[in-house]
Amino acid sequence: MTAIETHDLTKYYGDLCAVDHLSLSVDNEIFALLGPNGSGKTTTVLMLTTLLRPTEGTATVCGYDCATEGDMVRKKLSYVPQDMAVDIRLTGRENVVFFAKLYGVADPRAQADEALAIMELADRADDLVKTYSGGMRRRLELAQALVHEPAVLFLDEPTLGLDVAARKKIWEHIRKLRSRGMTVFVTTHYMDEADRFCDRVAIISRGSIMAIGKPKTLKAQLMKDVITATISGEFIPFELGSIRFLGRKEDDVSFTAENGREALPLIAEALVARGMKVHSLSLHEPTLDDVFLNVVGSSDEPRSFNDQQFRVMLRRRK
Amino acid sequence: MKGIWHYMERDLVKWARGRVAVITLLVMPAAWLIFVGLALPVRFTGNYLDFITPGILVMTMLASSLQGGSLLMFDKILGFLNKFLALPSPRENILFGKILFITIRGVIQATVILLIAILIGATILSPLQYGMIYVILILFGILFSGLATTLALYIDDHDSYAAVNTLISMPLFFMSSALMPYSVMPSWMRSIAMVNPLSFAIDAIRSVGLGEVPLMQMGLLFVTGGLVLIVCVQVFRNMTV
Repeated sequence: MTAIETHDLTKYYGDLCAVDHLSLSVDNEIFALLGPNGSGKTTTVLMLTTLLRPTEGTATVCGYDCATEGDMVRKKLSYVPQDMAVDIRLTGRENVVFFAKLYGVADPRAQADEALAIMELADRADDLVKTYSGGMRRRLELAQALVHEPAVLFLDEPTLGLDVAARKKIWEHIRKLRSRGMTVFVTTHYMDEADRFCDRVAIISRGSIMAIGKPKTLKAQLMKDVITATISGEFIPFELGSIRFLGRKEDDVSFTAENGREALPLIAEALVARGMKVHSLSLHEPTLDDVFLNVVGSSDEPRSFNDQQFRVMLRRRK
Repeated sequence: MKGIWHYMERDLVKWARGRVAVITLLVMPAAWLIFVGLALPVRFTGNYLDFITPGILVMTMLASSLQGGSLLMFDKILGFLNKFLALPSPRENILFGKILFITIRGVIQATVILLIAILIGATILSPLQYGMIYVILILFGILFSGLATTLALYIDDHDSYAAVNTLISMPLFFMSSALMPYSVMPSWMRSIAMVNPLSFAIDAIRSVGLGEVPLMQMGLLFVTGGLVLIVCVQVFRNMTV
């Protein structure tokens, strides 16, 4: 049975379309929903975790309908929101045992100990969470989430606000859970992390999926090299023989070409000839950022849909 | 049912560990009891302390209950509520756990106030009478913690919550029979005090002190409490899908 399936899943907040006819099938993998703030990632997760009712379309988790069989869906999943909500006045163990009891697991203490051990928190389990670092708090949330051995794990921006080492550790743990047979559904706006650690990604912009597939396959859709130029001056997109324009991110414009070394001088000349000043040029292999630029066009945050407004709406949740 | 207990346990442990909050909620009622109860020169009764103690007990429950709503508000703002809503435990348990905790906390605080009252000279009653007083306080606590949690579902920031809290608690207290009997009230105040749920509880505790069984008032508290719970659950269900 497929872990997560959606058909034309849609959510409107008033007139604003947050998620637009999303159809997905996720099973037995680490799947990442990638996109900038306000692109509809969290709304999608809220619908899949039965916290928000879709305006249209259906979603199932392990074959149970998210809208009508909420109780069964919640038995199958664990959800870690981006807020980092752990009780700082309780110890790590108390936090996990509390969740184990609410999940109704057979032996809450033993299960909690096991989950804490998996997340490498056993030696600090009896300290108040007040004394934990950000990375440890995140791992504690993961321990809470896996204490009932869910079939599907939803993680909303699991590495937000953590330092590089803590991020790496979180991802290693997520991989470990995956190898235990869990389906992991992550949202993130860190393209590089998704590239390194996820089996499959979907790039979402303004509520619609723009590209979906293995990071490697997505990157292969571009040509072998990507050239990025930092410029100033008015930029008008252009193509140059087989060199294709990818997109613009602030002052950086990117192109893709089969042979980057040969394309570099051509691009520099073309830019200067069109009246721009070129500050620097770089050549690299395609990344998911480039894929994103290619399918979305620009990686500016959508102005009409700011994060703050979105959060206010989430809280009202009608 | 078990879920209610676990949610309650979480709040109880957190509360007991935050030592400052345990004391601060008690300062106000204790001050009233000592400074007003012992010092106010009144003519309508010989023992004002005995008269005012029921009012202060109910005031303690009221303050604790109304303040308790902010617990749910914080759970909502900080993201705990969303985590709890995604759990398989029935969602209403979150609500009942809160109401249970707030009521238990109020009863603990009221007990401290009762002990202080006895210490400074209130008349000692029989165990049966104390038992009835506790039943009344619990019914009252459920009524107002239900009300406070319902409010908390609507309110999203701490300042507004504190403002609403004051807006409710002050007039409710002064417009009740807590400080004076109906006979010495101006008539406009009497008509308000008669329908104030605070007065139901205060009058009930006073009747217990006189050796009566205040079935009428207890019934009223029971019915209003039940109605508030029904509304509360309904609002909660509407808000959470």
